[in-house]
Amino acid sequence: MTRNQKKREPSKPLEVLVVGGGSFGTAISTILAEHDHRVKIWVRSKEQADEINNNHTNERYHPGIKLSEKLLATNNLGASIPGTHIIIVGVPSKAFRQVAKKIGDYMEGDQIVVHITKGIERGTFKRMSEILREETCALKIGAISGPNLAKEIMAGHPAGALVASHYDEVIRETQALFSGGRFRLYGGHDVIGTEIGGAFKNIIALAAGVADGMGFGNNTKSLIITRGLSEMARFGVALGADVFTFGGLAGIGDLMATCASPLSRNHQVGVRLAKGETLDDIIKSTDQVAEGVTTTQAVYEQAKQLKLNFAIVETVYSILYQGITPPEAMIQLMESPVGTELSRLNF
Amino acid sequence: MSRRGRRLKPADQNRVVEEVIHRSLLAQDQDPRGIDQILFETIFHERQRLEKEKNRDKAKKELRFYRKIQSEALRANPELQRDLLAKVIRNFTKEILGNFDIRMYQMATRAVPVVLNFALHALSPLKILRELPNGLSNIDDQVIISGETKALQKVTQLGTTIVLPTHVSNLDSILVGYMLHNLGLPPYIYGAGLNLFSNKVLGFFMDSLGAYKVDRKKKAKLYKDVLKIYAGYSMELGYHNLFFPGGTRSRSGKVEQKLKLGLIGMGLNAYIHNIRSGKKHPDIFVIPCTINYQLVLEAETLIEDHLKEVGKSRYIIEDDESYQIKKILDFLNKLFSLDSRIHIRISKPLDVFGNFVDSKGQSRDHCNRVIDRKRYVMVDGEPEFDSQRDMEYTNELANSICEAYSRDTVIASVNLISKVVLDWLKENNPGLDLYRLLRTGGNLPSMPLIEIYKRIDRTLASLKKLAKAGKIHLDETLQGRDTVAMLSEALAHFKDYHVHQALERRGDRLYHMDRELLLYYQNRIPAMVEAS
Repeated sequence: MTRNQKKREPSKPLEVLVVGGGSFGTAISTILAEHDHRVKIWVRSKEQADEINNNHTNERYHPGIKLSEKLLATNNLGASIPGTHIIIVGVPSKAFRQVAKKIGDYMEGDQIVVHITKGIERGTFKRMSEILREETCALKIGAISGPNLAKEIMAGHPAGALVASHYDEVIRETQALFSGGRFRLYGGHDVIGTEIGGAFKNIIALAAGVADGMGFGNNTKSLIITRGLSEMARFGVALGADVFTFGGLAGIGDLMATCASPLSRNHQVGVRLAKGETLDDIIKSTDQVAEGVTTTQAVYEQAKQLKLNFAIVETVYSILYQGITPPEAMIQLMESPVGTELSRLNF
Repeated sequence: MSRRGRRLKPADQNRVVEEVIHRSLLAQDQDPRGIDQILFETIFHERQRLEKEKNRDKAKKELRFYRKIQSEALRANPELQRDLLAKVIRNFTKEILGNFDIRMYQMATRAVPVVLNFALHALSPLKILRELPNGLSNIDDQVIISGETKALQKVTQLGTTIVLPTHVSNLDSILVGYMLHNLGLPPYIYGAGLNLFSNKVLGFFMDSLGAYKVDRKKKAKLYKDVLKIYAGYSMELGYHNLFFPGGTRSRSGKVEQKLKLGLIGMGLNAYIHNIRSGKKHPDIFVIPCTINYQLVLEAETLIEDHLKEVGKSRYIIEDDESYQIKKILDFLNKLFSLDSRIHIRISKPLDVFGNFVDSKGQSRDHCNRVIDRKRYVMVDGEPEFDSQRDMEYTNELANSICEAYSRDTVIASVNLISKVVLDWLKENNPGLDLYRLLRTGGNLPSMPLIEIYKRIDRTLASLKKLAKAGKIHLDETLQGRDTVAMLSEALAHFKDYHVHQALERRGDRLYHMDRELLLYYQNRIPAMVEAS
């Protein structure tokens, strides 16, 4: 606690708005509704808002699951933002800037905004916190990332994540939202590392899915996860992250959950690619976003600019964008030069 | 243009002293080290400093003071120790406050153009002869003030301003004073290194132009706290402030990208105080500005200091070119004889959170929406201090200032030519690290002019692209001139003034000599230009 900080009365309920009624946005809202906060969830369409408010379901993203009756949905951003203490943004990275701009039309400087999106903007390589900085007046910005498979959260399982911000107030207030419940939120200041971890792991999850789809076992997956972590850390450190962040929930924690679980969308895409489906067919067949597809392109291009070599990223990129088949790509990956493990990772 | 500003009356001066002491003591009360440790640490640092003080009479007097404080503090209870700390703070405050008098300020600012003009007349009879039919020459031809001048004039009417110039030369203080006078702005107070007051040429201007004394030899944290509190309180009272946020002259020639945040943060501190006290005009505006020379008076000393590999660079240099009157006159002579311009470029005003401010004094976000900036410091509807939050806000402001510096740097032919030559040297000596390259020059003492001309064209094209995108500015030496003229312009600047000539044309080849000077002038080009 720093000098002159005004301590919030613990019993006072908080106004929270979750922007985004997708899979993870709904999951986070569900956890928040378990506490005594006034939780609203903004969704794009009136139909979806009505479904949540009247039926307490979100069939598109969580079929067959009953949502808390305390959860209120709205499709009116302008009416929801004033008076809200914390805004949590959980929309796909492709739509993030557009939504951030809309939020920016109503936000004020004393409000806190935290995002839960794991992606990097194509073309600009901007992280989501940077987009929030550009599109809103907000300064008190944070990022939440960790092993948070939405379906497991909706099933009531305990989970945890990291909330990173330069501002202690953001960390404190966000932790206060979840404290005492089944979601443990740890605090940190490495925003870059947290966001890179959350985005990069989706690339490795694609690779792990390809390996699983090709029928390989745990040895292969472990190789991909471990070397993938090394690439993630090198990329993050090159952009200014703290290497130790990758040893925590936002790094290895999230990586393990996403690569090991068939529930991960990115893992599922990898499996389907290995089984011979094309990327176009996979994208058309599902509403759910696999962020790893766009993140692979963003990281690949940025790595080239930074003159960094990432064998796994290049392998996934070759499958997604260069027409290389998964078996050919895996052979190329295994034939890539080996050096000393950890030699290029400076502590 | 009306001058909105306050006259500093003796009663104001006493009030400032007492309030600074009061706030400084409150700040020390919050320090977890405790009053006694702060007191003894301060005495320790001061005694160390005074043992090295050249003025022995002054040192003896101050040492007596600290010995007395120390012996009393050893026997004192906490309350008495606090009183002793207050005495030390009073001592610091009185030294810092200086002798700012608005009447002297007005006289001195009228004198600045006259003095510079006189120097011009004395040293350049040809120029006098040329200009006789038109009357006396005008310093306005030599010093170009551009950028957001109207915005600066406007915001000084709306609130208290903090002007933050880049810093390469000890002449900067005079030039900034000239700029403020030229724009018809109210008086500014600013912190100048105590060592500058010993410089006869500059000392007069410092005292008269509202400078308060900053003794950079004082290492005690208490002293720095008192300095900050003084600056912050003066902002609350509505005194416009000026300081160099880089802290010292850039040794490398680079535009500042790392700033001293302590003083900058006092703007936010003053703003919160103002809102809490319900002040009618609570706003504090920050105005970055760049000072750009074709030739820098102290370039050789500064770059040498930067490159010193053994031990730390000297933070305070007291024997460079700016302390030699002949050097200053030579420098001015050179500038005026070459018709060389000094560009002072004023950036868009910012609020204390780093947001742009429009002509009505409203803060705007990146999407040009109006921001209610008071909300940044509200907690449950009340303005509150939060030291961690406020430190991050100050970091945001510092980032905005650095971006402004980069954007509003004015690049000239000497910078361009220096970069072209150094790039050629690096490419043609791939096995040498920078320091060896600078010392030895590699294996080729000269380069073909034809190749240099091609590279100048290529690099200039990149610079023009960035200038068009609003990322940098190019001065008149880089616009509307052919390549040969550009090189001649740069060579004319390098010739005769600096001890060692950086470049020399002989026939169809260009010889490189003082590569450290080239590095200094090349470093002025912002990093993003380097990368493009």
